[in-house]
Amino acid sequence: MGKYEWLLFLHVTGAFFFLGGVVVAWVLGFAAARRELPSEIALLLRLTGAAAAAIGIGMLLTIVFGLWLVFDLDFYDIGDGWIVAALVLWLLSGTLGGAGGKRDRETRLLAERLAAGDDAPSGELQARVRDPIALSLNLASSLAGIAILVLMIWKPGAGG
Amino acid sequence: MIALIRPDSWNFPLFVHVFGAIALFGGVGTLVLLSFAAERMPAQGVFARRVAFGTLITVVWPAYVVMRVGAQWIYSREDLHPDFPTWIAIGVGVGDGGIVVLLLLTLLGWLMRRRPRAGTLFAGLAGIYLVALGVAWWAMTARPGS
Repeated sequence: MGKYEWLLFLHVTGAFFFLGGVVVAWVLGFAAARRELPSEIALLLRLTGAAAAAIGIGMLLTIVFGLWLVFDLDFYDIGDGWIVAALVLWLLSGTLGGAGGKRDRETRLLAERLAAGDDAPSGELQARVRDPIALSLNLASSLAGIAILVLMIWKPGAGG
Repeated sequence: MIALIRPDSWNFPLFVHVFGAIALFGGVGTLVLLSFAAERMPAQGVFARRVAFGTLITVVWPAYVVMRVGAQWIYSREDLHPDFPTWIAIGVGVGDGGIVVLLLLTLLGWLMRRRPRAGTLFAGLAGIYLVALGVAWWAMTARPGS
């Protein structure tokens, strides 16, 4: 395996952790939105912590090894339109996902508090777990991630 | 370097394959998290295993189909016959072997709703499959033997 193959493998590994983590977060979040017991919601939202870690590690790997590839290969340039667009989308995805994740964390803390009490269904928790603002932020972040994948495959304007 | 010079007509099949593979990785990752949580927290074991089984049916199986259809589609475009390079062999091995693994996971997932011992096997098998998917994407990107 040469240098290019290693860099590409680590870059793609980052993409799998980033977007795979997004899938995990959506599956667990969707399951949580269908539950009523705070203890069950707390368990599912606690597990999304692993998804958040995977997303963070993945984003770091994609940016580090993606930029390394750009600077290492002669036929890509940091000023190429599709690379600039990917960088903007990467920043957007991270910012929106971070904001959505912060709201999700507050929901998890509420679920854990209620679970430690009488574990009775709560209207406030139900509203929080279906919070349209958090859902919108997470959806926009996820779509930005998918748009990056589209750019990485099509490479519009790269000529190859 | 093939990825750098592939024809435009390969892009959509490749996107379908990669999108399915990422969804499959995320879905199997969810199974691993839920099934190991069930092992560690017996009080919520039944609930976590039920969600894991639901995820297997509604997320993992569809993602597998999308990944496999995309793989066949891009493979037909690449015109690699009759040679069967190592990296394709690894990918096909993990891809086609995945059907057996998913059938076993489905059986264990059904059984673990009543038998916790099956849940332990489910967690272990899901973990092994997650690692196998990592080996597959290593082969697909590094292309050993090409």
